[in-house]
Amino acid sequence: MKVVSLRSDVQAEPAALPGVAPAMAMIHIDHVSQRFQTSGRQSHLALSDINLTIEDGAFVSILGPSGCGKSTLLYIVGGFVQPSDGAAKVKGKVITGPGPDRGPVFQEFALFPWKNVLGNVMYGLRQQGVKKTDAEAKSRKLLEMVGLKGYENFYPKELSGGMKQRVAIARTLAYNPAVLLMDEPFGALDAHTRTRLQNDLLTIWERDRKTVLFVTHSVEEAVFLSDKVVVMTRSPGSIKVVVDIDLPRPRKRAELLLDPRYQKYVVDIEKLIDDTGEDEIHA
Amino acid sequence: MITPGAALSKSAPLLACIGLLCAWQVASLALQTESFPTALEAIRAVPSILGDKESLVNIGASIRRMAIGLSLAVLFAIPLGLLMGRIKGVASFFNPLLMIIYPVPKAALMPIIMLWMGVGDMSKTLVIFLGVSLPIIYHSFQGGKAVEEKMLWSGAAMGLSAPQRMLRIVLPAALPEILTGCRTGLVLALITMVTSEMIARQSGAGNILFNALDMAQYDTVFAMIIIIGAMGILFDAAFEKLRGWLVRWSKPQHDMPLSFS
Repeated sequence: MKVVSLRSDVQAEPAALPGVAPAMAMIHIDHVSQRFQTSGRQSHLALSDINLTIEDGAFVSILGPSGCGKSTLLYIVGGFVQPSDGAAKVKGKVITGPGPDRGPVFQEFALFPWKNVLGNVMYGLRQQGVKKTDAEAKSRKLLEMVGLKGYENFYPKELSGGMKQRVAIARTLAYNPAVLLMDEPFGALDAHTRTRLQNDLLTIWERDRKTVLFVTHSVEEAVFLSDKVVVMTRSPGSIKVVVDIDLPRPRKRAELLLDPRYQKYVVDIEKLIDDTGEDEIHA
Repeated sequence: MITPGAALSKSAPLLACIGLLCAWQVASLALQTESFPTALEAIRAVPSILGDKESLVNIGASIRRMAIGLSLAVLFAIPLGLLMGRIKGVASFFNPLLMIIYPVPKAALMPIIMLWMGVGDMSKTLVIFLGVSLPIIYHSFQGGKAVEEKMLWSGAAMGLSAPQRMLRIVLPAALPEILTGCRTGLVLALITMVTSEMIARQSGAGNILFNALDMAQYDTVFAMIIIIGAMGILFDAAFEKLRGWLVRWSKPQHDMPLSFS
């Protein structure tokens, strides 16, 4: 059942970014619940009555312990999973399936192994009917931007995890989705690679300010990257609180780590999660 | 520089073949049975078969039936297997049917098929088709089922429709597994080919073999066994070359036993 509702009893507006006009809602999640059939005839409530509005150009992280349904919420926005109740909307239109306006980046990379790096990045563009020479030129530029110049002819199996994820990000950026849906994109990477990719993602994002929905279970990662951090609780997954991260941009890791405001955000949010009495929170 | 160890492992298959022939030679000399010619006698009979035009026509006909049966099986089994792997309903429908067909030796159907279609090419090709289809269906099914869901989601987000995802994501992603099935299918095609000719004695490599047996030309019998074995090795090696090229992007799977390539 999809309930189309015009109510706007949603989360607090984020602190307006200096110099940015009041943003329109890019994503609107309206009373979304998700039930899964488990073995036997029982059903498990994975998400319970989620309401969330994400403005155009905002970087929003969803933070929570594993099993809180945060990825499911992202899949619903992606159109990969249909909610049992409620509706998710992008630019005011109810989401009924995947589309090139919402580009996913998965923890598992999900590259096409039979295509080389360039072929992977070009794939979406060619699908959109872009001419081969144009698609190739744009893909080469994107690969340069993510630091993979010279790797165009490599196959995914020949790349490290960090490089694979760079390809996956370039592949998604290539078809220029309005929203980036990132599902624990750096979760499978070692700490060093993870830090570098966070920095690079932030640089890219600060340049073209796409709307980003970023699922993670790392508090530091969420605070470092986001305008808003949505803290979720487990069983059933619901929004506990939305924290506005009022830290200046562009953000520099070296400065931020020493910034008491950053440290306070991290500690406060960790406490919030601790309150839910869950384990295995930290990355 | 080739180390002695590397040289040994490189020449090992050849040494194994020579060893087998030596053992054969010794056993044959020891047994002194008319129906068991020595390896040398058998090898000496090979050129006379390959030099005979009628034999070559027969072997050519065998290979043609094998190629047609195998091609038809590939065209039929890959789409079916992939659809079974991706769509639950298709799998539940075909699974019981295949379970029934699976343990039946396809050559056992030959008499009935001959009754319906005669002893010509049609029935033999059909038996090859039946024999080869199952492993290809099975491997295509496994390959299709194992395709990462997120890969399909990525494609869907780019705007690929369901049929496009089937053709442009599921098919290439499952290709390594499909080709493993095709390799098994290729060897089975050869086996079924000979078996079908054993039952429907009209033409072909199998027919030469059994005619020679009837006439007690045992050196020809063993020469034919060598020729058929060599054909199998050759086809398999050629296929492995093609497979290696087609899935050069894929992570090397464990080496299959029995490869001469």
